[in-house]
Amino acid sequence: MTDDQKLNAIATRTRRRFLFSIIALVFYFSFALAWTDAGAFLSEPIGYGLMNGALLLFIFLIILFISLEFLFLRVAKKEQLKEDAQAAERAQ
Amino acid sequence: MKCLSSLTAILLVSASAIANAAGAIEGEVQRQALNISAIVIFLAFVAATLGISYWAARNTRNSSEFYNAGGNISGLKNGTAIAGDFMSAASFLGITALMFGAGFDGLVLSLGAFSAWPLMLFLLARRVRNLGNFTFVDVVSMRLEKSRIRYVAIIGTIVVVILYLIAQMVGAGKLIELLFGLPYEVAVVTVAVLVLAYVTFGGMLATTWVQIIKALLLMTGVTVLAFLVMKEANFSFSGLLQGAADNHPLGERMLSPGVAFKDPIQVATILTSMLFGVLGLPHILMRLFTVPNAHEAKKSAFYASLFMGYFYLLLIIVGFGTVYLLYNNPQFFDESGQLLGGGNMAAIHLSNAVGGSLLTGFMSAVSFATILAVVAGLTVSGAAAISHDLYAEVLCKGKPDPKKEMQLTRLTTLVIGVIAVGLGILFQNENVAFIATMPMVVAASVNFPILFLSLFWAGLTTRGAILGATLGLISSVGLIIIGPQVWVSVLGFDEPLFPYNYPALFTMPLAFAVAWFFSVSDRSARAAIDRENYHELLVRSEYGEK
Repeated sequence: MTDDQKLNAIATRTRRRFLFSIIALVFYFSFALAWTDAGAFLSEPIGYGLMNGALLLFIFLIILFISLEFLFLRVAKKEQLKEDAQAAERAQ
Repeated sequence: MKCLSSLTAILLVSASAIANAAGAIEGEVQRQALNISAIVIFLAFVAATLGISYWAARNTRNSSEFYNAGGNISGLKNGTAIAGDFMSAASFLGITALMFGAGFDGLVLSLGAFSAWPLMLFLLARRVRNLGNFTFVDVVSMRLEKSRIRYVAIIGTIVVVILYLIAQMVGAGKLIELLFGLPYEVAVVTVAVLVLAYVTFGGMLATTWVQIIKALLLMTGVTVLAFLVMKEANFSFSGLLQGAADNHPLGERMLSPGVAFKDPIQVATILTSMLFGVLGLPHILMRLFTVPNAHEAKKSAFYASLFMGYFYLLLIIVGFGTVYLLYNNPQFFDESGQLLGGGNMAAIHLSNAVGGSLLTGFMSAVSFATILAVVAGLTVSGAAAISHDLYAEVLCKGKPDPKKEMQLTRLTTLVIGVIAVGLGILFQNENVAFIATMPMVVAASVNFPILFLSLFWAGLTTRGAILGATLGLISSVGLIIIGPQVWVSVLGFDEPLFPYNYPALFTMPLAFAVAWFFSVSDRSARAAIDRENYHELLVRSEYGEK
């Protein structure tokens, strides 16, 4: 792999790192909305029982973050396989 | 009457639990009766971990093996150890105490502690692992002027480790006094002696296994506890929430945000400090070097997330379970309506309520084991900062005598143990809430900015990094001093000069801004070299050694 090819691949990876991080941070800090007037609706019960939007948001965020991590690892693995295949092709 | 007392207790419980969750059990505690089953279970844990340390000592022959267990830990094991290092007694007892007092608001700390791990995976795991050998200081010093930036990063590490250690030791002394009925000094010395036995002889390998065993025990205990709570609620989550709302003095209000924290900025300050603080904790970052490659480092972060996500989801059940099952049970309250032993005992009393003395003993022993695991990790990190970062890399210019380095490593470990006991006893009657806050804020304002910028910004120069980190340190310590925890609680003033306990929301951007400004305005010859070095660092950070 040439230096330019490596730099291109790194640029792609860096964009992906920041995209995933920004998504996580936006959702993470959205949790603070539950303490604002605009987020007052999150304190209301959802459907049957006392489960409210804020509690649901907490559970959703934990599951979302783990899913994002899983997706990130899958994409990285796929990319690695592609890079390995290209390297093998070049070697031939 | 009991409800009225409970209401007044809520704020007290909440205030101490916020600090506790950051790393310490703090405030007045009531010593409990000697808990025999807890002591038996704990002794079994100690015997097992000392046996492992003996085995680890035979596999720890040089400094490399001491610092990173030879880099042979798998991603799954390392992820479990990270979870063991991070899910502290404070997480379990402190967050549960906060939920017992203030309901939903306790979950802010859970989310803060958990959410750093996705960012660790996305931003740091691969690059840090590929660039460093033993500590995060290796990474930040790679392309900058080595001696000067190492001094700054070492100071950042030592400050965080010492503050974290004080909070843990004071917390340990009080927690063990509370759970086991042992005198404070005995508890502190016991923790130090056991940690020294693990770390001095077994280094990172023994520490890793202590953390793995502790993580498995804690997750087992919390799983059983949550299951038994759900059984009490007929396996209906809605029933659990309804029961909790019926019993809590605030009723349904405690299920909503706004009981302990009124202000969204206050919540944002906590979220910022917790998330970015974790990303700058030296003993956590050090764990990324115990795996053989970057792929395993990423897997470590993912598994750590998985275990912690599971743990914090179960804490919802445990936290609301304390409200559901303790408030209507007079056996857990004293005559004045206070929870026996204080708010931090809520999870332990819940164990008693649903699982009797055996589960109480198990959870108490796990809480003790938790402290050992966290202090062991801190001790390895502190020892590495002195013997590797300072002695080997700065004083010996990267060419130390391996035998001398190993001797210094073990000596440093012993000294840290003695310092930990001294500080633990010295601070035993002090309000350590602010000390528990400081490590996260300092790590977020000093370590994280220079680590992040050195990895992702070609323009960073030595001057910018040093000034950014220094201003980050001064501003974070300064704002904590004039904030509520020191200015009002310790110094006795009526009103704080700065309203928030966790100032990283302000000090971290300041550190970034200062590092940026003094880097872009740096026209020195060294700055040109620093910028040139980025290309090589970037390629190596993604593709490993050339």
